[in-house]
Order: sequence, then C-alpha cells, then structure tokens
Amino acid sequence: MKSKSIKTAFTLMLMSSMLIAGCGGNNNADNSKNAANTGNNASTATATDSAANTTADTSPVTFSFFGADASPNWNKMQDEVGKVITEKTGVTLNAEYDVGSGGGEQKISLMAASGDVPDLIFAKGNLSKLVDAGLVIDMTDLIDKYAPNLKKVYGDNMKRLKYSKDDQKIYSIPTNAGVDQQSFDAGGGFEIQQRVLKELGYPQVKTVQDYEKVLKDYVAKHPETDGQPTIPLTLNADDWKIMITVTNPAFLTTGAPDDGEYYVDPTTYAAQLHYKRPAEKEYFRWLNHMYSEGLLDKDTFVQKDDQYKAKVASGRVLGLISQEWEYQDGENALKAAGKDEYTYAHFPVTLTDEYKDHSFQSAGVDASGIAITTACKDPVRAIKFLDWLASDEGQVLMNWGIEGKQYTVNADGKRVIPADVQKKKTDDANNFAKETGIGLYTALTAHYGDGVKDSTGNYYTTNFPEQIVAAYSDAEKETLKAYKATTWKDLFPKESDFPVKEWGALYNMPTPTDGDYQVTFKKTQDIIRKRIPEAILSKPADFDKVYDAFIAELNKAGAEKMEAEYTDLVKARVSLWTGKDL
Amino acid sequence: MKALTENGVTVNESVTPVPPTKRNSGFWKSVLQQKYLYLMSLPFVIWVFVFSYVPLWGWLMAFQNYKPIKSFRDQKWVGLKNFKELFHDERFYLVLRNTLAMSGLGLVFGFVVPIIFAVMLNELRGSVFKRTVQTISYLPHFVSWVVVGGIVYKTLAIDGGIVNDLLTHLHIIDEPIQFMAKAKMFWGVVTAADLWKETGWNAIIYLAAITGIDKELYEAAKVDGAGRIKQMFNITLPGIRTTITVLLIMSIGHLIGIGFEKQFQLSNNLVTDYSEVLDIYALKYGIQIGRFSYGTAISMFTSVVSVILLLTANGVMKKFTKESIM
Repeated sequence: MKSKSIKTAFTLMLMSSMLIAGCGGNNNADNSKNAANTGNNASTATATDSAANTTADTSPVTFSFFGADASPNWNKMQDEVGKVITEKTGVTLNAEYDVGSGGGEQKISLMAASGDVPDLIFAKGNLSKLVDAGLVIDMTDLIDKYAPNLKKVYGDNMKRLKYSKDDQKIYSIPTNAGVDQQSFDAGGGFEIQQRVLKELGYPQVKTVQDYEKVLKDYVAKHPETDGQPTIPLTLNADDWKIMITVTNPAFLTTGAPDDGEYYVDPTTYAAQLHYKRPAEKEYFRWLNHMYSEGLLDKDTFVQKDDQYKAKVASGRVLGLISQEWEYQDGENALKAAGKDEYTYAHFPVTLTDEYKDHSFQSAGVDASGIAITTACKDPVRAIKFLDWLASDEGQVLMNWGIEGKQYTVNADGKRVIPADVQKKKTDDANNFAKETGIGLYTALTAHYGDGVKDSTGNYYTTNFPEQIVAAYSDAEKETLKAYKATTWKDLFPKESDFPVKEWGALYNMPTPTDGDYQVTFKKTQDIIRKRIPEAILSKPADFDKVYDAFIAELNKAGAEKMEAEYTDLVKARVSLWTGKDL
Repeated sequence: MKALTENGVTVNESVTPVPPTKRNSGFWKSVLQQKYLYLMSLPFVIWVFVFSYVPLWGWLMAFQNYKPIKSFRDQKWVGLKNFKELFHDERFYLVLRNTLAMSGLGLVFGFVVPIIFAVMLNELRGSVFKRTVQTISYLPHFVSWVVVGGIVYKTLAIDGGIVNDLLTHLHIIDEPIQFMAKAKMFWGVVTAADLWKETGWNAIIYLAAITGIDKELYEAAKVDGAGRIKQMFNITLPGIRTTITVLLIMSIGHLIGIGFEKQFQLSNNLVTDYSEVLDIYALKYGIQIGRFSYGTAISMFTSVVSVILLLTANGVMKKFTKESIM
C-alpha cells in the first residue's frame, strides 16, 4: 500500500510539472514572436540575396491566414484551383474565416490584445488595431523587390497604398476590390421579386413611392405564398448588417455616395454623420410609414442573420433593400430549388425624383486588403505567393479555373465557359465554388476588376457583359427585357456620370486608435443602432420627436468633435493622394 | 497492512499527541507526517496559483495606458484615470443595473426551482420514470447558448412561434406578442431560458445530497405518523441544508460576474438598454476598441465586488445558520 501511495504522489508531481512546462511553453511562444518581430529586417536582408537567383521556391510551406469575412465554401485548398496553387507555389494556406456576420471584429481585437496573429490576415475594417499593436509589417520594400506583378496591377495607384499621411508605410495591399473595375452588373438598390413585377405588368420603379405601391398591390392580391404569409419587405438589422440594409440606403436614396457612417461635402471636405442630413430623416420617415402600414416585416429588428436568410430562401419576401452579396445565400437556395421567379430584380430607387443613385461613383483603388504580420517567418515567400497569385496566370486560374475543366479556349483564342459548367455555376453556386475553388482566392491578392483584358485579349474575370447575361436566369432576362435593359446596371446611373472620389472609400480609412475618437465613435454607433430602429418603429406622429432626440443624443455623446477630427483625416488623405494643399 | 483513515494517514501515526507549546515544530511535524497528502494537493495549489493568481499581475494594466506594442517599462502610468472614467460613464450604471437585475433573478429562480425540482423528483416512486425525467431535464445543459439562442428566438417568434400560437389558441391574447422586441421583457426571457437550460443540471447535486440522507429517518417519521409533505419539510430539506447554504454562498459570489453568453446571444438592437451586462460593456468599450486598460479596470471592479459579496454572504450565513464555506 505504501509503495502505491508513493507512486500516486509521483504521478501527481509529474502532472504538476507538466502543467508548469505547459506554461513555460507559452513564454517560448512569446519569445519566438519577439524574435520574428526584430528578425524582420534580417530576413528581408537575406532574402535580397536569394532574389538574385530568380528560380521560384516551391518547397512546401504553410501559411496561417485569417479572413474577416465568412467564406462558407472554403475547402482547405482541396478544391481544384487550390491544388494547382499549392503545386505552383508550394504554399498551403491554413485558413480560418470569421463565422457569421461579425466582420472579424471580435477575433481581431483579441489578436491585437494577445499578439497571437496568423501569418497573413485579411483584417477588413480592423487593420488599424493590428497596425497600432505593431503586429503588421511594412510591405514597401518587399513589394519593390519581389512583387513585379503587384506593381503592375496597381500601377499609378501605388501612392494610394500608403497607410496615412503621417505613416506612409504600406501595411496592406487592397485586395477586396478589383483594380480598374468596371461594373457590368448592379447588385444593390432596391430589390423586387421577378414574379411580382411580371404580375403587375412591369410598372415603373423609380421612387420609394413606386416601390411601396408595387409591394402593396401585390400583397393585397396574394396574402399567402406557398401557404405561408407573404412578407412585403424585410430588412436585416443583425449586427453590422443594419448598415447594409437599413442605414446605408438612406444616403443611397438621397444622392450621396457610400462613405461609411459619414457624409463628406465634396467642396469643403467637411465630414458629418450622414444621419444628420435632412433628406435622410425623410427616408427613415418613409420606413416608419412602411412599418405603420404593415408593409415592413415586424421581425425586422428582432430577427437574426440566419432567420433573415431563411425567410429569403422561403421565397415569401417580395422586396428587399440590400446588396446581392448580403442575401446571396438565400437567393442561391431559391435558384437551386428552381424557383427563378422568386429571385430579385434591382432598381436604383431614390427618395424623390430629384436624387440620383450614386452607387457607381468610383472611389478609385481603395479597398481593405491583406497584410503580412510579424508572426510570418518568411515574409519574402509570402509576398512572392501573393505576387504569383496576382500574375496573369494566377488571376486567370483564380477567376476562370483550370483550362479544359472549367473553361476552354476556342479557335479565336477566346476563353469560354462550357454550357454545363455555367449551368452548375448558376444553379448550384455553393457546391460549384466548393469543388472548383473559383472565386475563393481572388480576395487574397491584387487583381484586376471586371472589364480589364489580359495580353490575350480576354477578360481577367468571368464577369463581362456577355457572360453576365449568360448567367441570368430566364426569369431575370424576361424582367430585363421588359425594362429594355440587358443588365441590371443599365437601370442605374453610370460611373462616368460622377467624378472619382478624391478621398477614396472612407470606410477603409484608418482612424486613430488612441484618444477619444474610438470611444465616441462606438458610443455614436450604439446610439444609431438603438435609435434608428426605435424611430422606425415609433408611431408616425412621434417620429419627429424621436429622430430629433436621436440627433441631439449623438451630439451629446461628442459627435461634433468626432466629426471635426474626421474632417482633418479626410483632408490629410485627399492631400496625400492628390497632392492638393489643404 | 495498516488501515488508512480518510485523510490518508495511518491510524498509529495520527494519534501521536502534539505538544501544544511547540506549535511551530508541530506544524512541520504534521507536514512530515502527512507528506503524501501535501504532495498530492501540491499540483492543485500550483494550478490555482498559475491560473488564478499569476494573471492578477495584469491588473496593473488598469493603472496604465496600456499599449500591447510597448514593453512593461515603457507603459505610461495614468493612476486612477480609467476608474474615474468608468464611474463617470452613465452607461456603466445602466449595465450594472442590468447585471444585478438579471443575476438577482437568476439567483432567486435558478436557486429555488432546482431545489423544488430535486425534492419532487425524489418523491417519485418509479425508478425508470424518475431516471428518464432526470436525464431529459439535464440534457439542455450541454446545449451551447448559441443554439439555445436560436431555439428561444424560434419559440417566441410571432409567426409560428409555439408560445404565441399557444397563447392565441387559448385566447389569452388576441395579437401575437413580439417578445424579443420588448425591452422590459428581456430579463424575464433570459431567466426563463436559463431555467430551461440549467434546472435539471443544478438539481443533480441536490439529488445526490438527498440520497445521502439516512433512510431510517424516513422510516422513523412514518412510524410517528408523518405524511409525505411533513417528511419533505422535516427530513429532506433539513438534510440538504448544508448543501443549499454552500451553493447559495457561492452563487452570491458570482452575482456580478454572470458572464455574457446568454445576453449576447439573445439580445438585439431594440433591447440593448436592458440586455447589456458588464462583460459585454467591457468587450465593447474595452477590447473591441483596443482600450485594454479600461477593460481591465472593469474586470477589476467586478472581481473586487465579487469578493466583497462572497465574504458578506459567508459572514451573514455564519452568523445565522452556523454554516459557511470559510
């Protein structure tokens, strides 16, 4: 018995020493991180030598990656395109994507706090947290030495990659939007189901009043869809999506471009929270009216993202005010079920006739993008990987897939997608993406947008006018024909109608993480997300009172000071990019 | 082979008298005597130290303007600035109210209902039925709050939610109630969801305590003519009184640190004034916007309040029931 208890004691001691060792391991990890941090310059230096011999290094290497946008079709690079990428570059991405609609905020905040970052990161709007925590490396030299393709793609826009006027390093390369993108299709505006338009004889839909009438007329005729109550209009107010479907349409319908939560005066560059524009109050008043009329879904501000998508997928929602990517999952389900007449048409609806939809005003090259972190042991390999993806070969692979499988080249040297592949791509989009990997990799690197042709005279992307029309379902084509258009975009005002925005897309502009700015911004966000729903749900007679109290509350929280600070940032950005002295 | 007593010390050694005059050497002597006992508890002491005391070092952050990039020596010390800011923020008092309200409700119902449930379950005769009920009732404990959140939303939905369907069919209400949009109902919804999820699980410990009660007591009571109800109040409940007290003190200690999963999953923009709790506030105004020091100040506040609550509860119980955990 005695010997047994000694054994027990030793076992326990062993366990405790393991515990201690476990903690020690943590420290080691910290140290190695520091080493990576300081070893940055060193590795760049050694890599310079190896750059002399330009043979591509394709030895297997794994980079960890975090993407702030959900990528439900990600298949751990076991898809066809992914396998080719690994074969050509040796790189395997160990990717993790944010789940749901979080936009990566929680995870990236924790990364900034713990210093525990993946090698590569697509931080979306949260990059500045990582930059301020010193976790992101400067890519200026790396791009200069190892990334001819990136330089080629960005061209004259390289100065737009700089972080800010005070810190002109390149911390990330814009990858979330194509360079020189010409949109051929519109995915925004106000959406109405094809079946509704067809039955009502394709009425004119220009203003919110037209839109309202369409929904109202149809729901009066068909109060039920497939046995369930028809929902005339629903919006998604879960977390940040409230901006996409509830608050952003307020400026889009009143003739302002998308600058995140702000509106910038194009002559004075003065920024203010866009909710303060009197025209937007009228937009929210209209939503309030829609709610009191019973046209806006009662669940709008209660439902979660998945419930909203399930509703869209059920086909009983007549109208949406959103972006196609936002409700895509739901619409894909409809397409897969063959219910094409339940999919949505897009209209540039405005509050009244005097406004013009600014959806297509160009912001120039300015998008959130990918960054290399201090945890990356081989930044040179990483930039070469990104550079390969940005090469013509890489871009065609990411967009088109593999020759002979997802596309063929015809006698004229044109890339063509075979009909059966196109059918799968349209009707079974999620599985198609999962199996082939097409579309999963483009946001990793610099790429040309739609409408840009490569040296063979083919478009880089699969979105070009003919292809877009080919991808439309019959129901969509029928609707478009009735409105005398070939694509949805034909219904919208064109890029050329507006000047390129000198300040880019402000939702990508880094804001100071020190000082009061973030706190005030957070407070105003809390107020907005609480009071806008309240204003919409209030009795029409109380709307003015609620809305005015909302604006007063914003100012009380320090909005005016925050706007002044933001105005300075906008001016600094304009002067960095355009050379104007402000 | 020598017989071992409960605490692992052989009977012969433990009866050695300790001279009261030499307390100090007596202590070391007993350490030596009970060395295996000490060795066995050592890993756990280390565990507590590493995971509960070492992190306290991080509390220093609350007095700094902490920046992750800087080394400890380069951090800027700001004194009580973070605390001043915290106590001047109206929102803080709002979330404190919500935290205390929800944990108070949770304490009252989450404490009383499992006891009633356990006692009632104990009165059941059929052992198969009893066990089935017990298993079914504690299963929700293993469902994560993410899923429970979805279930609650579905159950309370206005189109097709079972609660509204039931109430309208029974003509208790005419119009379906949008439960999740009513801020004032939020506390109730959270408490109810918590009850559904945890009642069965929390009852297990009471059921275990009840099985420890001597069966002869019940037999004696029966002989004396006590009915089922009398047995419940005079034997079962007093029999588990110690367990009840200990658990009560511990849950009072947790009053302010109720976590945030439930609130996070169940809340929406319309109810934030009633759903935001301290932990969510710390997440939003601390970590999410990179204010680690502010977040630390909040968690330091909750820890201090928790300790005070725990000690007070313990003291009060000690005085009135002579039972305590310390």
